[in-house]
Amino acid sequence: MAKSKTNSYRNSSLGDRIFDICNTIFMILLVIVTLYPFLNMFALSFNEANDSVRGDIYIWPREWTLRNFEYVFSESNIFFSTFVSAARTVIGTVVSVFCTAMLAYTVSRPEYKLKKFVSVTFIFTMYFSGGLIPGYLLIKELNMLNSFWVYIIPGIIGVFNMIVIRSFIEALPEGLMESAKIDGAGDFITFSRIVLPLTVPALATVSLFVAVYQWNSWFDVFLYNSSTPSLSTLQYELMKMLSTSNTAMSSSSAADAFANAQGNKATVTPTSIRATMTIVASVPIIIVYPFLQKYFVKGMVVGGVKG
Amino acid sequence: MELGKGTVQVGKTAVQLAKSNNTGTSRFKTFFKELSKQKMLMLMSLPFLLWVIVFKYLPLWGWTIAFQKFKPAKDLFDQKWVGWDNFKFLFQEQQFYRVLRNTLVMSSINLVLGFVTAIVLALLLNELRNVFFKRTVQTISYLPYFISWVVAANIVQMALAPEGIINVLLVKAQLIDHPILWLGEGKYFWGILGVTEVWKNVGWNTIIYLAAITSIDPSQYEAAEIDGASRLQRMFYITLPGIKPVIVLILIMNLGHILESGFEAQYLLGNGMNLDYSENLDIFVLKYGMQMNNFGLATAAGMFKTLVSFIFLIAANNIAKRMGESRLY
Amino acid sequence: MRTKKWLQTGLAAVMASALLIAGCSGGNNGNKNSASGNDGEVSTEPVTFTYFGFGANKDTMASDTTIGKKLQEQTGVDWKMEYVVGDGSTKSGVMIAGGDYPDVISPVGELAKLLDAGAYIPLNDLIEKYGPNIKRVYGDYMNKITNEDGNIYILPFTANVNGYLSPPDPSSTFWMQRRVLKEFGYPEVKTLDQYFDLIEKYQAKYPKVDGKDTIGFATFAGTAGEFFTITNQPMHLAGYPNEGGVLVDMESHEAKLYQGTEDEKRWLAKLNEMNGKGLVDPETFTANKDQYLAKLTSGRVLGYVNYSWQINDATNNLRSAGNDDLRYVALPIVFDEGIKDAYVDPPSFVNNRGLGISVSAKDPVRIIKYFDNLLTDENQKLVEWGIEGETYTKNAEGRMVMSEEQLTNRNDNDFKRKFGFAYFDYEWPRYGDNSVYDDGNAHVPFNQPEVAAINYTEGDKTLLEKYNLKTFSDFYAEPVERPWYPAWSIEKEPGSPEQLFSQRAGDLQQKYYPRMVLAAPGQFEKVWSEYLAEYNKLDAKGYEEFMTNKIKDRIDGKW
Repeated sequence: MAKSKTNSYRNSSLGDRIFDICNTIFMILLVIVTLYPFLNMFALSFNEANDSVRGDIYIWPREWTLRNFEYVFSESNIFFSTFVSAARTVIGTVVSVFCTAMLAYTVSRPEYKLKKFVSVTFIFTMYFSGGLIPGYLLIKELNMLNSFWVYIIPGIIGVFNMIVIRSFIEALPEGLMESAKIDGAGDFITFSRIVLPLTVPALATVSLFVAVYQWNSWFDVFLYNSSTPSLSTLQYELMKMLSTSNTAMSSSSAADAFANAQGNKATVTPTSIRATMTIVASVPIIIVYPFLQKYFVKGMVVGGVKG
Repeated sequence: MELGKGTVQVGKTAVQLAKSNNTGTSRFKTFFKELSKQKMLMLMSLPFLLWVIVFKYLPLWGWTIAFQKFKPAKDLFDQKWVGWDNFKFLFQEQQFYRVLRNTLVMSSINLVLGFVTAIVLALLLNELRNVFFKRTVQTISYLPYFISWVVAANIVQMALAPEGIINVLLVKAQLIDHPILWLGEGKYFWGILGVTEVWKNVGWNTIIYLAAITSIDPSQYEAAEIDGASRLQRMFYITLPGIKPVIVLILIMNLGHILESGFEAQYLLGNGMNLDYSENLDIFVLKYGMQMNNFGLATAAGMFKTLVSFIFLIAANNIAKRMGESRLY
Repeated sequence: MRTKKWLQTGLAAVMASALLIAGCSGGNNGNKNSASGNDGEVSTEPVTFTYFGFGANKDTMASDTTIGKKLQEQTGVDWKMEYVVGDGSTKSGVMIAGGDYPDVISPVGELAKLLDAGAYIPLNDLIEKYGPNIKRVYGDYMNKITNEDGNIYILPFTANVNGYLSPPDPSSTFWMQRRVLKEFGYPEVKTLDQYFDLIEKYQAKYPKVDGKDTIGFATFAGTAGEFFTITNQPMHLAGYPNEGGVLVDMESHEAKLYQGTEDEKRWLAKLNEMNGKGLVDPETFTANKDQYLAKLTSGRVLGYVNYSWQINDATNNLRSAGNDDLRYVALPIVFDEGIKDAYVDPPSFVNNRGLGISVSAKDPVRIIKYFDNLLTDENQKLVEWGIEGETYTKNAEGRMVMSEEQLTNRNDNDFKRKFGFAYFDYEWPRYGDNSVYDDGNAHVPFNQPEVAAINYTEGDKTLLEKYNLKTFSDFYAEPVERPWYPAWSIEKEPGSPEQLFSQRAGDLQQKYYPRMVLAAPGQFEKVWSEYLAEYNKLDAKGYEEFMTNKIKDRIDGKW
């Protein structure tokens, strides 16, 4: 079968060429605008904190220093918490994507009698929440406080992701599932052997969503696991650092200043810590991206399906 | 396995097939009879149904807080019950209608602008010929998503300052005479917020459409090429219809979030001068609910939001159904 | 137990069938290494308790710090110290709902909620039995630390012993760049008009610095969280200390709000007038903190209004840049010549910040003994000054002093953490900041004049010389005793009309201040009356009554 690519058209007309040029210029502008914040964070993270207070740091440090990174990495728990972050990202993503896809498959089956009931039951949950305290009490009653599972189980199903995967499954040729049935395959076999491989772009997309969510989470650590250092995550450690460097800011009442009276010399400032933690926390997850990207940036799939 | 290539109809929902019009008890009988044949499907979905009931529906007892002068230390039965007081406070507060207006306007702007730009960017990215360039642009365009709002707002504030880049450029281009205090005028706030949201999220929002584009059958492009269709024509007549089902689905889901206009951006970019336009429902709830330990008010506002969400969600889904588009359920 | 019974049973039923989940939940409930012994016998058996602070700090084990280690050697007690991250009220909310507390809690702003929830145990008997030092330190303050129900729940941080020592370097909120004072021969600047006149004259003379326009006056009113910077000033200008919204009459003890009064109007009218002259930074109400600090460090600003702790990053930066002309000095500015300034805090007792023992504590006796041991002269010196020969020295006259290096360390955040100052010099039962030891040394190093003097630069010394002053505190009037001070620590009940009033009144200020300051000169009166009309719809009377009553209670000894 022809492995056709969208970029193989070579018969450009004048209009097409103008379009290409405009498009490329637009993309370059877009790159400039969207790359800037990261360059800015890079510059601030390598710039001496006290000097950054003066402002006017854009894309290049003025007074180079590694002090900000030293400060961040001096936290003894930072490496282990990175490991916990990685673990929750990998396990959380695999479990959630698999379960979500399985559920999506069942609600994509037109003959399934509970299809609509299950769909609606899940979809509605996107629009309400019982609130913080009931949520906390639930986790407590389930004995999941101070456990790793609190990172995984409450997020097993992502409803938005379920809808995305469902729409991809529904877009698959109907004959596919029919013929599998005729071959005697049960639903689980059809799902795992036929549907999963064919919905790779959707799964890659959803994996990215879940992975980024897992990697960036810190509020659940704060709420449920804050007294167990061995379950702390990278983002939570960084949040702690930020909140410590913020001491002066945290006293919203003027008179609370009493507590942090005398001028202590700032070796790090909230601004420089925030820049450094942006770099430290986002670089790993950004590196993962290109590996997933290939599944949904290049044209592929249906054309490539063989028996 | 021989596959029907070229016959892919994206988003074809086949529910219509299974509609039998039996009546009375026999309908139930056939229902359960057929259901009992679907043991595997049930096994694959019911554990999750249990999960959703425990994790999402059970905590809804928390809604009772809306009718209490809630104190976290007390048992449900020892709470002071206040009836509809929290709702009354909400709806009688004159600020409420202002923040409701701001919420609706800002989330509509975000919805439309965010939607259109993400789709357009996905289409344009898809038209880039050089795969490396395409991937690079795409990777970079989603980077701002990883920047916290504090940082993003800071950059926006710097850019919009009297001596910031926007004013400098506009003055140089002689579009304005004096620098404008962009964040000091309420009337600009909605626009600034809309553009900021796009800048921060457009790359990220594109991903889902790019994934959808991959499922379009390439033979359609080949056929179009033979017919001599231009790039723009191919975009409009193949790519766009190809991802329409996904677009419609996401549109419906987002309409349900019509009262969620975000919180951090408004909070950080808002100030005394643009207050009348920047303050939204979430900020109001923070000020009069959370910061004052009034959980009841916060819960009441949450319930109000849920109600509005359901109205929008159901309406949008029904319209999509009428128009024969893909729908949520 | 405070968990909902029916929820529990309901859950159990669901759980029974939910193998999926049950199989996975294996969390242990953490620190259940119950310390044996409720007998109260002195024990130095090693034990670890948990400490939770609602202030910001880095989590640690007490024994990882020098001070914590020393205290552990004395008592056998170690602490697992945890601090809040993010929003304190969220944390206290779930803590209360869950009913699991750490052994001791420093509640900061969450006290009312935690008390309401019955999170603390009464300390009265424990203090009576095991706390001779606690009694010595808090004896004079018993009525102030006793709750309405007759119980003591927390031990505050501000119990001064052995007299009262004012800090040598207090500051007002009105700062002026030193080159301005230099230019005009170090004149005396006392009133608001004089302050702005000087700025105006200087700017007329030097409109630019390094090619950029000078900014006459700036203040930080860009974010809701620190809007008090601009709204607090009428209080200071009228000669009152920071009481949080009200002025308390010295004779009648009536609390009067200054919002909507002539004082507030005068302040705003002045700003409006200065804005008309182009002296007020147009970004006053829109800049964020980073932008504001950058502006201050640029040296372009001639005068600004801030509490010193808000802008430490900028002042430190200017100081290390070494150009004393571009640095600032805070001046005792008031409305009129006749007003006595009140920038130096009067002796105060903050009774809503403190440390208490929670109902979950396994061994309150051990804990109270630890507290008591902490309150010896010796250990108080340890937590503030550290170890003689290491972090401070004694000179021939027996005065405790520090070398420059020791002072740098005492100010360095990393060192403070490692040594333990950052964990033990506050948020524990302690001598108040203004305390004096029997030997005449100050309890807090920075209150020791010898220590403060080390920090003075040449420029500081010149400036003080020109004004014929020894320390910066000499700029200011002696504080006057206000037995109720500070009124801001009066707790308002969550969701009460008083709290609602504060919020609404604050909303109005945030909305109208920019309009009034930036109004065209002729328009000010109009916007002011609009503001006043809105403000008058609120129940200011009720709020004042509430505050007056509370203040009178305090004077009567009911804190």
